[in-house]
Amino acid sequence: MIALMLAAWVQGEAFCGFYVAKADTKIYNQASQVILVRDDNQTVITMSNDFKGDVKDFAMVVPVPVVLKEKDIKVVERQVFDKLDAYSAPRLVEYYDNNPCNQYRYEMLAKAAPSAAMGSGSAVMDEERSKKDYGVTIEAKYTVGEYDIIILGAAQSNGLQRWLTDNGYKIPPNAEEVLNPYIRNNLKFFVVKVNLDKLDGGDYQTLRPIQIKFNSPRFGLPIRLGMANANGDQDLIIYAFTRRGRVECTNYRTVKMNSGVKVPEFIQEDFSPFYADAYKKAWRREGQEAIFLEYAWDVSSTNYVKCDPCVSNPPDYKDLEDAGVWWVNGGNRQYPGSADFNGNVFFTRLHVRYNRAHYAQDLAFQVTPNNEQYQVRYVITHPATGSFTCSEGRRYVREVAARREEELQNMNRLTGWSIYRHIDYLDDWNRRNGNSNNRIKRGSVGDTGNNGGIFILGFLVLQGIALFITLRKKG
Amino acid sequence: MLKAFFKDARHYQVLFLGTFLLYGTFILRWDTHWDHYIAIFAVALLTQLAGIRFLRLPAHSWKSAMITTLGLCLLLKANHWGICALAAFLAIASKFFIRINGKHVFNPGNFGIVATILLTGQAWISPGQWGSGAILLFLVGVLGSAVVHKVSRLDTSFVFLGTLMALQAARNLLYQGWPFDYWLQQFTNGSLLLFTFFMITDPVTTPNHKRGRIIWSILIALISFYLSNYHFINGAPIWVLFFIAPLTPLFDKIFKAARFEWIKTTVMKTSN
Repeated sequence: MIALMLAAWVQGEAFCGFYVAKADTKIYNQASQVILVRDDNQTVITMSNDFKGDVKDFAMVVPVPVVLKEKDIKVVERQVFDKLDAYSAPRLVEYYDNNPCNQYRYEMLAKAAPSAAMGSGSAVMDEERSKKDYGVTIEAKYTVGEYDIIILGAAQSNGLQRWLTDNGYKIPPNAEEVLNPYIRNNLKFFVVKVNLDKLDGGDYQTLRPIQIKFNSPRFGLPIRLGMANANGDQDLIIYAFTRRGRVECTNYRTVKMNSGVKVPEFIQEDFSPFYADAYKKAWRREGQEAIFLEYAWDVSSTNYVKCDPCVSNPPDYKDLEDAGVWWVNGGNRQYPGSADFNGNVFFTRLHVRYNRAHYAQDLAFQVTPNNEQYQVRYVITHPATGSFTCSEGRRYVREVAARREEELQNMNRLTGWSIYRHIDYLDDWNRRNGNSNNRIKRGSVGDTGNNGGIFILGFLVLQGIALFITLRKKG
Repeated sequence: MLKAFFKDARHYQVLFLGTFLLYGTFILRWDTHWDHYIAIFAVALLTQLAGIRFLRLPAHSWKSAMITTLGLCLLLKANHWGICALAAFLAIASKFFIRINGKHVFNPGNFGIVATILLTGQAWISPGQWGSGAILLFLVGVLGSAVVHKVSRLDTSFVFLGTLMALQAARNLLYQGWPFDYWLQQFTNGSLLLFTFFMITDPVTTPNHKRGRIIWSILIALISFYLSNYHFINGAPIWVLFFIAPLTPLFDKIFKAARFEWIKTTVMKTSN
């Protein structure tokens, strides 16, 4: 399968591009990951949180639109997240120039994506305490995997808050005001605590993701409760599967993360910090309120090219089953290179960084028919080796020198990293070019930034002129 | 010369909508497909020209087609330029073929968007594409009202927006207890504001009588509120306008008033 994809890649471009590094979710301090599966009014949400600490303190409260049945709650292995992350993570690919004075001679390099699988647990229920005084109804009570799950209905937020605290759930003190709107919205609360007997002495690393399934026209993710902790910016990576096309946010902007940019060779060693800084800069540029599209691809069995180039294996039937994609059927291996399932599946990866100041509402989504593919990909190009004494060779040296300058500028524009700290990147090729001067043209350096302010100012001026003309006419 | 230029309110509209399109494309970095824009522009104008040629419409009606073109570019997304072309054709053609009492029934942009989504399933609207810049609210609001003021349909905009804001405030702030910025965010949505100031203000497809227009606007706001809060329909007002538009002749029957004309003293057959 990989061979086939590489073949397709080579066909599309003049040279081979190979994946050399990726920036997976491990680079963010606080990152939750969620898999969303949506078709019609059915939704499956799998939540993998970044909880680190004593499992006794683990508590999760998720507003849900309906009382979930036991069969609609599952515990899945964490590796499905690792696999989707590896598959869709922003990537760095490399190209090798041919020496214009030689025949074909290029090397290839590829690194395997690291993957991690995590353990399991098991379960029993602790004592239910009095709840008459709290105005809280226990709608259902289950033990699933290593978790004790209660589904609560509540009439008042202070009752709910007290009930949770009195029953040993660690809830942030200011959660009450956040809980109230959900109660008024007739939502139920999916409340999770670790069952220590079932966990069998494991620590937080053994906590597995929880998956819930329900039928409701609502399609979104509650992020407001998470902000009750008020500890700064939080990252959320969303992996979405639909039958039709991309998932996009309906109450915040969904913007493409920049991609396809040529960056210096040395980024290969620092790709994770590079992407983390590029993300931070893009996020700030968009006023901290945009959601970034990092990957969009048709992963249906009928689409042979599932990545370009592949960072790791695309999701197979088992992954889709684990993720809760209910409409695919397994067992199609008729054509080499095709996936082992039937059915249309479109995959979207979104990256949100939220905080209370800029995110007043929970995230709301819609499934669109947009099936345009997208990936975040940065490109490094290794220059050819050998001597460049022929006339084309001399031109090539000039081109490489200019390209390297452009790569440094791109790096600066994307991340804000200093060009001058990496100025020696130009040395070798400038020397070959017979030019020892490393001064990059002033004015070409720096970030163009967001021109929104200038635009609006210009707009206001034009508006003023229009009003002036109108008023003069009336006068 | 400039005075003459600004005499026709449609010139303002084209300028403003054009500016929004530039803002979305270059500042908000929309996923711009120029071939889609070109298709909409070309098909809308050609369809309008065919109307001018064969249905003897006044020559200046191409300006209305420009407004429809920009509205479609701003609101409609599709997978293929052909779908955009279809939307443009349906929008303009609806003015020629769906008429009651010599007045066309649907707002052309609105008809193009909804009909294309329903017919092809390959088009969509992106309510989240605007961001929440409060400055945008201010600009769109003020500029939009300047436009509608010129065609005296300001009442429609304010009644619609006011009703919706009051209903949402009652639900979000008073009943549910969300903070103020939760409520505000809904009204910094550019799609909603474009709808408010550029779509339901279309003087030809709104009821002629002021009282009729006010009731009509409240009705749109009420149904939009219900659909978005209880059925989670995205872009609800656009759908509501589509289904309520055929009732306009009924409103005109109940509340009698003179019909709107783009340029007084000449008999017009068109609108945006």
